[in-house]
Amino acid sequence: MKYAFFPGCVARGGTPELYDSATIVMERLQIETIELSTASCTGAGVLQEKNEKMGDILNVRTLALAEKLELPILVICSTCQGVISQANFRVQKDRKYLEEINGYLKDEGLEYKGTTKVKHLLWVIIEDIGIKKLKESFKTELKDVNFAPFYGCYIVRPSEVLEFTDNPGRENSLEQLIGAVGANVTKYSGRTACCGFPILFINQENSLKMVSNHTGSAKDSGADAIVTPCPLCHLNLDGYQPKARRKNRGDNADIPIIHVPQLVGLAMGIPETQLGLQKHVVSTKNFISSVTQKK
Amino acid sequence: MQVSMRVKRYDPELKENKSWWQGYKLGIHANATILDALIKIREEVDGSLALRCACRASICGSCGMRVNGRARLVCKTRLEEIIQKDGELNIEPLANHSVIRDLVVSVDSFFSKIKEITPYLTPKSEPVTGEFIASNESMENLLKSMNCIMCGVCVSDCTVLEVDKKFIGPAALAKAWRFVEDPRDDEKSQRISYLNDTEGGIWDCTRCMQCVEVCPKDVAPMDRIMEMRETAIRLGHKNSPGYRHSETFYRSVKKHGRLDETLLAISSAGWTNIPRLIDLIPIGFKALIRGKLPPIIPHKAEKKEAIKNIYVKVEKEDE
Amino acid sequence: MICQNGFNLEKGQNNNRMYQHDILIIGAGLAGLRAAVEGVRNGLNVAVISKVHPVRSHSNAAQGGINAPLVDRGDDWEDHAYDTIKGSDFLADQDAVEIMSREAGDAVIELERMGVIFSRGDDGKLGTRRFGGQKIARTFFVGAITGSAILHVLYEQALKYGLNIYEEWFVTKLIIVEGRCQGVVALDIKTGELHLIQAKAVIIAAGGAGRVFEPSTNALICTGDGIALAWNAGVPVMDMEMIQYHPTTLAGTGILMSEAARGEGAYLLNSKGERFMEKYAPDYMELASRDVVSRAEQTEIDEGRGIDGNVLLDLRHLGREHIESGLGYLQEVAVEFMGVDLAEQPIPIRPGMHYIMGGIKTDSDGATSINGLYAAGECANVSVHGANRLGANSLLDTVVFGRRAGAHAMKYVRDISETFIDEKYLTDERNRLQRMIENNGGERSAAVRNDMARSMTNGVGVFRDQNSMEKAIANMSDIMNRIPNVSIDRKGKIFNTDLVFALELEYMVNIAWSVVNAAITRQESRGAHFRTDITGRDDKNWLKHTLVFKDVNSENGVRVETTPVTITKWKPIERRY
Repeated sequence: MKYAFFPGCVARGGTPELYDSATIVMERLQIETIELSTASCTGAGVLQEKNEKMGDILNVRTLALAEKLELPILVICSTCQGVISQANFRVQKDRKYLEEINGYLKDEGLEYKGTTKVKHLLWVIIEDIGIKKLKESFKTELKDVNFAPFYGCYIVRPSEVLEFTDNPGRENSLEQLIGAVGANVTKYSGRTACCGFPILFINQENSLKMVSNHTGSAKDSGADAIVTPCPLCHLNLDGYQPKARRKNRGDNADIPIIHVPQLVGLAMGIPETQLGLQKHVVSTKNFISSVTQKK
Repeated sequence: MQVSMRVKRYDPELKENKSWWQGYKLGIHANATILDALIKIREEVDGSLALRCACRASICGSCGMRVNGRARLVCKTRLEEIIQKDGELNIEPLANHSVIRDLVVSVDSFFSKIKEITPYLTPKSEPVTGEFIASNESMENLLKSMNCIMCGVCVSDCTVLEVDKKFIGPAALAKAWRFVEDPRDDEKSQRISYLNDTEGGIWDCTRCMQCVEVCPKDVAPMDRIMEMRETAIRLGHKNSPGYRHSETFYRSVKKHGRLDETLLAISSAGWTNIPRLIDLIPIGFKALIRGKLPPIIPHKAEKKEAIKNIYVKVEKEDE
Repeated sequence: MICQNGFNLEKGQNNNRMYQHDILIIGAGLAGLRAAVEGVRNGLNVAVISKVHPVRSHSNAAQGGINAPLVDRGDDWEDHAYDTIKGSDFLADQDAVEIMSREAGDAVIELERMGVIFSRGDDGKLGTRRFGGQKIARTFFVGAITGSAILHVLYEQALKYGLNIYEEWFVTKLIIVEGRCQGVVALDIKTGELHLIQAKAVIIAAGGAGRVFEPSTNALICTGDGIALAWNAGVPVMDMEMIQYHPTTLAGTGILMSEAARGEGAYLLNSKGERFMEKYAPDYMELASRDVVSRAEQTEIDEGRGIDGNVLLDLRHLGREHIESGLGYLQEVAVEFMGVDLAEQPIPIRPGMHYIMGGIKTDSDGATSINGLYAAGECANVSVHGANRLGANSLLDTVVFGRRAGAHAMKYVRDISETFIDEKYLTDERNRLQRMIENNGGERSAAVRNDMARSMTNGVGVFRDQNSMEKAIANMSDIMNRIPNVSIDRKGKIFNTDLVFALELEYMVNIAWSVVNAAITRQESRGAHFRTDITGRDDKNWLKHTLVFKDVNSENGVRVETTPVTITKWKPIERRY
């Protein structure tokens, strides 16, 4: 199983624990990767606000780089997944546009023919590796632990772009993963809601209300932690949880936000420090001790 | 086929001012839509059930409701499809609207947002004879917004409206786009100014794509909002945090091939916006002590000149 | 620059308050809003009353386009007028048709200037497509959503001028005092309260009556309210037997598949894969007038060349791109409601009730036999459509005669001073509605309506004869006897749709009764009224309109008269396509 790995920007910046835990987990699962070190940031939808075409050129370039290696792209961030997929979708639908974009890649000797697939590590696990094989790498179960799945936006919408019809498992991939580690899923209103990150610097009041609503309702549903495939969701739900909860619910930040590779890593028996669980703003101490207790 | 469903009822004339779930069971033909079932209930089982519907052909926009938590037009949603996927059928009125009775909501808030964006053509003058001259391409482009049937489904599921009623909202903004893009309208820059500056305007959308996902007419309101952001920037509106955010991102990738997060946070707040900058300190500090503060010298892409060259090429064309 | 909230009307809960306007318009579709815009932009106190929000009006469902001969582009208004008159099987009043054809160009240009996003030709001017019954292309359109596109723009204009709108109010009675119409009694559906609304003139623009039949392309709200209100007030309804069955309605649901498909080149095929229109209309083929095509289809089906009671509409040869750009809504309907991709498969269709050419008799200014009472749009019969309406002429009818009715009413009200309306109109209606609500243990209105609709389609369908019509009359008598027993589940006030449906049922029964009595009177076949027992057209005796009056003194409650057709230039000839 070989992939062209694009870690994204945040995994190297604000969420180093994601990069570290992902690297260890991929090694354990024998996922071979070649890092696309010359690939650019995807633009995260923000760059596209200023110039959508520029964003598309940058992302098609990334797709072409992977195509040259004849490998599918593996990402560890939902936003990378969504943004690159949207660019891919646009050029597949409009071949004239693809031709136009390839014009900008000529100088670098690149040309995208439209064959690259993009998969989040979560999908690689569920679809390419499969739950059965995944479980073989587990050393323990997270029995009686409750997780609230927080998909965020970019890995579930638009469903047409993310090819949900042909891959129906993508719609509940987190639930499948949580089940695989032996834990329980709680039902709450934030499952596919927006974390508010995109408007954090633009309308902080609204952003914090979203953080408070979703972390609060996750806690109310009995979850011990939230698990999310997007580091940007993590940054907002984790980093701003104290301020958001204090301001809107008058209570404390009480629910840790776990990355997908951290969840997998816990079931694999990898030590918490290697998974970077001490690097979260909302402490994972209680969560970890409850997990170890229940083992 | 036999169908069981639950409908959220509410009657302000009842003493206990609460809503309740009412279950219904009925037999109906296999290809039936949810609306067919609701009409059958109304006609044969319980005439007190209140809902709006008219055309049953997805053109009038009356029958927007939430089905298993997601807003849709029930006239074009097949029972079988929902029950097979979700195993249950729960019907509630649209969210983000106040309920009048049962599945009937007030559309006053919806249309007040429409009215806010000056929803009619504002040409400076009319042609002396005949029609305005316009390309077919420009008129067909407007179909994206004209296809909107004002059903309220996007407004129901908008994640910003859920926390902030001041947001103009996807439907009204998509309609505003139609006038911004109409070559016959002469108030493009005033419209963009308003939408850029006003509270709840184009920069308040959180880009969650819910409206794109749920719109039954492929209006893709979020895409329309994004286009207006691009237009606002092109027209020189640089006074919003949204602009600064986007511009900094753009420049960072140009320079490093990757994102400089620290710079982004500071620049979006605004270099001279002292309160905002002070606001960033606690979170910055927390990140620092946890060991997750982004590096001062940001991570770069290797061979980032290739990326810079693309920028130079594109920017040259835009001039 | 920000639009001022144009909604001036106080949503008063005060039952004693008298609402007053210069002009009150019942119905907020194309005709109603066009009339309203005429009045309100000239500074009059105009209000529109609609039982649904204006943008829910059935004008939305008109898909294909609006006809207009543009004289400055080499078209000839007389050509359009003749096509219309021939299409009407010579029952249209030619002076009215001349007015419509002459004013059409300005009407369409005006809509474009208001902001309608009509399709364009290469020169940037309005572009056309071909439509049935016309040799040249003069139908202006917006994709396959022309009606909706125009309706939304007229609503925008209503907002621009601050039009008062009684949104979700249902008219239960017209108030006629001293020989003139002075207002209405109406139910505010949201609160359940009845109110008096006084007006110096009332324009009825409440649309057609499709729900009297089954299947029908019409929305559930098309229950003939306006026609029945006028009829109950003593105005005659004209040519009610002229019911248009649209040739291409979806099998099963009856949802409309626009004539635009045929206008863009689609074929009609029978079970043998033949383009059967060759046999019936060799010249115009699929674009013959609608009654001709519907009868052709019905014949193919009845003679065993149908497929499960349908024939096929085939767009495959148009190609995917053409279908998705110009006929996008049709593709949406096909995929969503039938699971058919028009680029890959033909789609089963059959004739379905679509439009009523008949309606409230008016002159070409929309005036009826009662002073101060006007009508325009589908509910009116000027007559421009005669025995059969051409596609894309209905949208034209609404804006031309909507404007004219508005303009004439404006002049009329100048000389009218207000009269006081006695509260007893309100109390009488309150009592009547209260009795309906209190009635218990009877049938639901839906059961009665379903029986009526089926029996009407059987008795007064694409093909009819003495037997079928007599049967329909007998059935309708039974149905009328069931009306007083209808009871309502919902006893509360707020949003009592149960009550509204019972009121609509009464209107529908009025319509049905007029239709069957008019139908059995006409002793010939003409246009949409095709009798298998009298198949020929009889210009000598029947170049006339039928008029049905409400008559409480007659045994069956109606009196049928006739009135001659106005012929100006075009002598009736045999109609061939």
